[in-house]
Amino acid sequence: MAELRKLRVGIIGCGKIADGHAEIVKHLDGAELAAVCDREPLLAEQLAVRFGAAAWYGDTGEMLAQEKLDVVHITTPPGVHLPLTRQCVAAGAHVFLEKPLALTAPEAKELIDVVVAGGKQMTINYWPNFDPPAMEFKQMLARGVVGEPVHVEAFIGYDLSGAYGQALMSDAGHWVHRLPGKLFQNMMDHIFNRIVPLFPDVEPEVHAFAYKRREAVRNDGTDALLDELRVFLRGGSVSAYGSLCSHARPVANTLKVYGTKATVEVDFNNRTVVSTTSQRYPSAVGRLAPPLQMAGRYFAEAKKNIGQFRRHEFHFFAGMSKLLELFYAGIRAGGEPPIPYSEILRTAEVMDRVIEQVYPATVAAGGAR
Amino acid sequence: MKILVTGAGGFLGKAIVERLLEHGQNDLRCMLRDASKTRGLETIAARYPEARLEFVTANLRNPNEIPRAVAGADIVIHAAAALKGSPAEMFMDSVVASRNLLEAIANELRHIRVVLVSSFGAMGVAELPRGAMVDEKTPLEQHPERRDVYSHSKLRQEQLFWEYREKYGFELVVLRPGVIYGPGGGHFSNRVGLSLFGRFLHLGGKNLLPLTYVDNCAEAIVVAALSESSSGQVYNVVDDDLMTSGQYLSLYKKNVRRVKSIPVPYFALMWGSQMVERYSERSKGQLPAIFTPYKTRAMWGGNQFSNAKLKSLGWRPVLSTREGLERAFAAFRAEPEKAK
Repeated sequence: MAELRKLRVGIIGCGKIADGHAEIVKHLDGAELAAVCDREPLLAEQLAVRFGAAAWYGDTGEMLAQEKLDVVHITTPPGVHLPLTRQCVAAGAHVFLEKPLALTAPEAKELIDVVVAGGKQMTINYWPNFDPPAMEFKQMLARGVVGEPVHVEAFIGYDLSGAYGQALMSDAGHWVHRLPGKLFQNMMDHIFNRIVPLFPDVEPEVHAFAYKRREAVRNDGTDALLDELRVFLRGGSVSAYGSLCSHARPVANTLKVYGTKATVEVDFNNRTVVSTTSQRYPSAVGRLAPPLQMAGRYFAEAKKNIGQFRRHEFHFFAGMSKLLELFYAGIRAGGEPPIPYSEILRTAEVMDRVIEQVYPATVAAGGAR
Repeated sequence: MKILVTGAGGFLGKAIVERLLEHGQNDLRCMLRDASKTRGLETIAARYPEARLEFVTANLRNPNEIPRAVAGADIVIHAAAALKGSPAEMFMDSVVASRNLLEAIANELRHIRVVLVSSFGAMGVAELPRGAMVDEKTPLEQHPERRDVYSHSKLRQEQLFWEYREKYGFELVVLRPGVIYGPGGGHFSNRVGLSLFGRFLHLGGKNLLPLTYVDNCAEAIVVAALSESSSGQVYNVVDDDLMTSGQYLSLYKKNVRRVKSIPVPYFALMWGSQMVERYSERSKGQLPAIFTPYKTRAMWGGNQFSNAKLKSLGWRPVLSTREGLERAFAAFRAEPEKAK
């Protein structure tokens, strides 16, 4: 069988997250990192040199004209996603975008419309949802193990003193501070993209509140950033809590789904998917069994993870590899994109509702636009 | 004569300011990113009644903040650089920042002498035989992608300075310090070893450490900056009386704190590095190739070092290595948290 032509991949935006994309593309069969671009050519150069891309550019138009790219990864701040998508689609490229997709849900819709009208495909980097435990949870759901979802809890932790957090907190001019929803807008895709697929397709009720737990000491633009977010949602007969928490330790990343048949917790950091046991045997003796059963389930998860490690399937960005495999396969076959556009838009709409409630002043002032 | 020092609030920057004052250079402009760092410089200036220190808070990432700092300067000593962060951040703060500074210098359209604090990391030592002499004739790194990001960013930074000198013809002096140490600095260079899983892996064995006490390094920068014969030259900066990695570690244990160290001989380190590199490739990056034979040769291969060229310029160490270590260890004892 003839070998498939490698998809020519480009990256626009050579900041911190671009490293993750370049690392994945470098190792994906059927793709090659052809070129990278940043309006700061020195940043483009360093990425190209470190990851062996053949060319680097300081101008998107020039890269698109020269390189005949099949796919472009747009890893810039979200404010320029829409114009860059227009350029890429016009140049005949499919697009893979970092979250958040755009500054508002209407803008996100416009972006998807541009892609569809251009006959191209897009997806967004919801990589944790394609990590091994998330994929396993989707299968459990499809098999009916959980039953009907009744309530969902999505929790993500954030470390303000971590590598990303520090870059943000030490620079009042960082682009995240200019987003209408600031830190929350840059992170909460990962809360709601887990809840939305479990909700019926109706407009959900969204009640959000947020506050700042850290003490304001810097007297600069960083002080306006709220760091704790709690959201309550209801869509039809399913309810959910979503939390972004900057102070609880360890920095967690979990999804707990309470279903009519079982309650399952996905731990994205520890890569476990475990359903909660219940007492099946009577009396005090019966209460001895569930912790042992839970221990057995965690032991099975550890064994499974070791197997994945041995098969080299346990990378940090394993989910991004999986998502890109599916996205690239869809491009080749002209099939469906890995994340339904309706899901992406519903996530963006929930985010708009949250931002309106927790940052009403920035929304009224037009945010970063 | 007005002298601009970038990164003036940093570990080396403060020492440069003090050495300049010691040399009678009193008209100094200190560029800082963080305005809170002025306090340390004011303490230094208080010891020199003639000192006229001017503070400019600027982020070199922002080109429009730089011209006012460069305006009127006769000498620019560029000591600001990134020591940590993501690769993109390190390139922003070392390379893009340097390009912005160089543009501002070129736009002044007048004679400015430029002094760059580069690094040993910019040199291509991985392909030298073990024990070879590293001096100013050692070529620049040819494979930065195979080294660590710090070395890569410092190499690109130095290249930029030579490119701009070629284009705009300003006077350029480049200094490449080895391991700068002293109170307020790190306790261990990677050349000694790394902390891994709660143990200190002593990787440097009997390799000579290219140490330079922070004041000695600053003195070298100031002597080169003020010398008439240094233009267009590179100077490696290491002190006299260098010691081995093993000697440093044992003195540290004796004078600062107990360290549970595991000595790793070079052949074992090279074997491990090959294994790590092969595994990383085979597993498509499941574990990062933090050790590779190339990196290991560059960092732990072991070399000889010379400061003859620097001495020919008139530089002499302010402190001996013994005195420098005494001061550093006394400070380390007082701030054990920096050992991490």
